[in-house]
Amino acid sequence: MKHTKKIKVIEPTSLYKWAKNFKRIQDRFYDKQFKLRRIQQLEDFCSLNNFKQIYHIEEVKLDLDLSKNIFTDKIENADLILVTHQGYSRFPCNGIIEQINKWINQCPKIYLCLNRHYLNINNEKINLDLPDDYQKAITSWLKQSLPNCIVIDNSRNYIDYGMNFTWSLPDRHFYIEKK
Amino acid sequence: MIDTDRHNYIRYRMGRLKHQLWLQNRKRDYITIDTHDKFIIDNLKAGKTCVFGSAGYYLEDLVEDLTVIEQHPIVKKFYPKAQIINHRNEIGKSYEKSFDNFVVINHRNDLWVDLDGLEKHFKDYRSAMKPGCLFFYSFRDTQMLFNRFKNDHYYFFLNFAKQLEKSLDLHLIWHDIKFAEKQKDGAGNYDINENPDTTNGNIKFVFEYQTKTKIIND
Repeated sequence: MKHTKKIKVIEPTSLYKWAKNFKRIQDRFYDKQFKLRRIQQLEDFCSLNNFKQIYHIEEVKLDLDLSKNIFTDKIENADLILVTHQGYSRFPCNGIIEQINKWINQCPKIYLCLNRHYLNINNEKINLDLPDDYQKAITSWLKQSLPNCIVIDNSRNYIDYGMNFTWSLPDRHFYIEKK
Repeated sequence: MIDTDRHNYIRYRMGRLKHQLWLQNRKRDYITIDTHDKFIIDNLKAGKTCVFGSAGYYLEDLVEDLTVIEQHPIVKKFYPKAQIINHRNEIGKSYEKSFDNFVVINHRNDLWVDLDGLEKHFKDYRSAMKPGCLFFYSFRDTQMLFNRFKNDHYYFFLNFAKQLEKSLDLHLIWHDIKFAEKQKDGAGNYDINENPDTTNGNIKFVFEYQTKTKIIND
């Protein structure tokens, strides 16, 4: 040992950091203005489908270009629940389905964004026949697990090499509607 | 992308929690490390140690004969002793069979690959290892490319590590693989935590190159 100072040993969790302005910081790395395709898609979905009372469950600040008037802070008034909070992707798979069913009973339409890299965070066995393609497998899992719902995959397929801002806005997008 | 020292530093620092330790340790009369750092320090062999892509300068006060190699030129601005490389294969060219210990802790540039990609990185690292070199490698499962629904994550990574004995002569001598355990709280809600160690990575391996003699102490 070459040091003379005392050593303090901490748990790795003491170093954790997460900021809701993560996307805003990342945006500032670029000199030209840009917009994530997924953000535009979200905005178009909300405005073109004429939703008037959106209950947004948000974590990372997305600064959506939508009128503040179309958001509600009361889930019972909502005509759409928009979920961009990636914490739900870190629920166990059955917990995600449970949560969707809870939401769908409060509001019949959900736009759900999931971070593919977090799914099945606890390594549980999925007893379903799923495709080998992971992106297709996610859609298949949702469809099979939500027989009471219409599930439409609005995601764009790509291999994520870490350059796709997945941690700003989760990458797998689903419109879910109660049958 | 903006290419100024300020921006490059912020980008570098955002993803490297151990850099924060270095900033703090320089100013304090004590050194803070985490439990995984202590595990590594306690198990290093005597000799030359390389820490690659892991802000390894934070271990400078604790590790004799330390070489810090990074891929980001900005590191040289605040830690002039760092060796900067572009591609991993430059490590072996500059330090062929040089190190007794090779350490990589949750190196972000190593991620976003499948297991074949990871093995290619290991092959580059191996060229800088002396026979008997200890190779400490840890990473996060959430930044690897694989079908998370169709594989048992534990065996997916453990089997990969075990087969490196045949393909790269890297012998797995210790491992620690943990995933989030999800149980509802009293209110019936799940926590939103990720895996148990996002700082160092929840998948930790120690390999020995060409031999299998070292006993690792937890």
